[in-house]
Amino acid sequence: MMSSKALGLSASLRAATFTPKILRNQAVLRNIVQRRTVQTTSYPASKATEILNQQRLRRPSSPHFTIYQPQLTWIPSIFNRITGVGLSVLLYGFSLAYLVAPGTFDSVHVVEFVAGLPDAVKLAGKTILAAPFAFHSLNGIRHLAWDMGKFMTVKGCYNTIYAVLGGTVASTLALVFYM
Amino acid sequence: MQSLLTQAPRFAARRLPNAARALSTTPARAQAVPTEKPVLMKEFKIYRWNPDEPEKKPTLQSYKIDLNQTGPMLLDALIKIKNEIDPTLTFRRSCREGICGSCAMNIDGQNTLACLCRIDRNTGKDTKVYPLPHMYIVKDLVPDLTLFYKQYKSIQPYLQNDNPPEKGEFIQSQEDRKKLDGLYECILCACCSTSCPSYWWNQDEYLGPATLMQAYRWIADSRDSYGAERKEKLQNEMSMYRCHTIFNCSRTCPKGLNPAAAIAKIKLELAAE
Amino acid sequence: MASALLVRSTIPRALVQRSALRSSAIQGRYRCPVSSIVSDPRCEIARHSTNDALYVPGGPVYKGTVNDPTTFPPASRAHGSYHWAFERILSASLIPMTAAAYVTSGSNYPIVDGLLGISLVMHSHIGFDSSLVDYVHKRKFPILGPLASWTLRATTVGVLVGVYQFNTNDIGLTELIAKVWTA
Repeated sequence: MMSSKALGLSASLRAATFTPKILRNQAVLRNIVQRRTVQTTSYPASKATEILNQQRLRRPSSPHFTIYQPQLTWIPSIFNRITGVGLSVLLYGFSLAYLVAPGTFDSVHVVEFVAGLPDAVKLAGKTILAAPFAFHSLNGIRHLAWDMGKFMTVKGCYNTIYAVLGGTVASTLALVFYM
Repeated sequence: MQSLLTQAPRFAARRLPNAARALSTTPARAQAVPTEKPVLMKEFKIYRWNPDEPEKKPTLQSYKIDLNQTGPMLLDALIKIKNEIDPTLTFRRSCREGICGSCAMNIDGQNTLACLCRIDRNTGKDTKVYPLPHMYIVKDLVPDLTLFYKQYKSIQPYLQNDNPPEKGEFIQSQEDRKKLDGLYECILCACCSTSCPSYWWNQDEYLGPATLMQAYRWIADSRDSYGAERKEKLQNEMSMYRCHTIFNCSRTCPKGLNPAAAIAKIKLELAAE
Repeated sequence: MASALLVRSTIPRALVQRSALRSSAIQGRYRCPVSSIVSDPRCEIARHSTNDALYVPGGPVYKGTVNDPTTFPPASRAHGSYHWAFERILSASLIPMTAAAYVTSGSNYPIVDGLLGISLVMHSHIGFDSSLVDYVHKRKFPILGPLASWTLRATTVGVLVGVYQFNTNDIGLTELIAKVWTA
């Protein structure tokens, strides 16, 4: 009984027991047993990796930054990079421009051009420059403190980012209005 | 003893005749209808992908269950959904008490263990459940952690010492033992590594916070004499120095450990060499 | 050919590999079922697949078996702790340098300003380089990666020359910023 169950044949055998005599004929019975609905193919064990790799290639990659909670850990971190790259692009852009056309991008022309801009544009421009500079500098100090082993806790991380954000606002205002 | 003796006859007197007992099986006070809890339906949106239909894009499937008929943790909700609504929902779970690390997943945007994560009882907002971020998905909430384990193996997470004590065991001072606190408790659930943006972009070369913290666990162990070799392995651009101290790892660790600090200590030790 | 090269240079290897597999499977309106890939002649890619042939950095197939540990890149302190320490010292020294350059700007000490200019360029270069390693590493982008790295190096050299020219022939960076700020 157990063995037939293990083979998955119990249902068909039981059916055979309660069916008319003709159906209990050996040949008919073998037909019933052999007609299986699931088709299986036998593979050697060495094919395992190959089959697994084919499955792996179909696997999707789970979503990441689009679903991750915006936290004061990675959001300031990416802004540190964005502000750094932004300011560096400005430095690189101006230096290359001066290298290529020193007559157009010399200090006299640049200052003249900026002086000719309307006040609102000047104020906006100063804010756009001062805020990333302040943030990147203060966050850079925070990173240096971390690298020395200071504030290396989640609490430290949060307290220092509040300080950096507060400091950024204050220094931006100071740079824009008092410098 | 005294009270037991005096009580015994009272029990006998209270006994009902057999026929009456058959009709009223329980005392009246137990028959009181329990105060019915109101139905508190909450929507769960769960990431689904079936490897048997690989051409179908992963989707979020919505399930609604009554929180008052569910246990307090998110794992309870998942098990209830699997038991009562959709048996095809697939996820890993084992200990249900935060020590096996199987049920690590991204719940409402944060990586944590489903068994340690309380369900947000605010029914106005749905709870979104994703697998660990930026991992190849085997099915539904089950990520392929093969690479994670291969990386863990690469740091040789076992004691190495060419001069074992002649007799008995390694002796360690209490101070040296203390250095391992906060390191050895890691259950390798991969919550921290898969929360790390650096690990998202470079996981084939960057070891990630979990593995690096374990690397430090063996560097810091006074009984291990292979510290220099262990450190030398990390002397390259990718293995450790892709860590930019983002702090997602420590922020998300369901065991309250601090991988970021462990990595910072390795960096300092390497720089001091 | 050219378009293939372009695709190869702009898309991560993992995506190229997977899209190639998918498109080859779709060709002839046939998609290899997982169970029949081994014996079916229509699935040539699957037939010749071994671990290493399918391995793509960052892809879903890994080198070696599940029991083999991952390997480490060759050890190099110049890319490891020296680089890290230099970067920190440079960043830290930018703070007093900026202050010094601000104080001495307009005076006859262009050396501080020049030093700040060079330090800023180096700091920027390391930052750009770090971003390139993070996002377009050559193991994932075999053409775009090295192209970006060499473009960055050439640009940095040009920028250094530009900064030197501006500091010797013009008023210098600090004074320019000061003047533009109050313009």
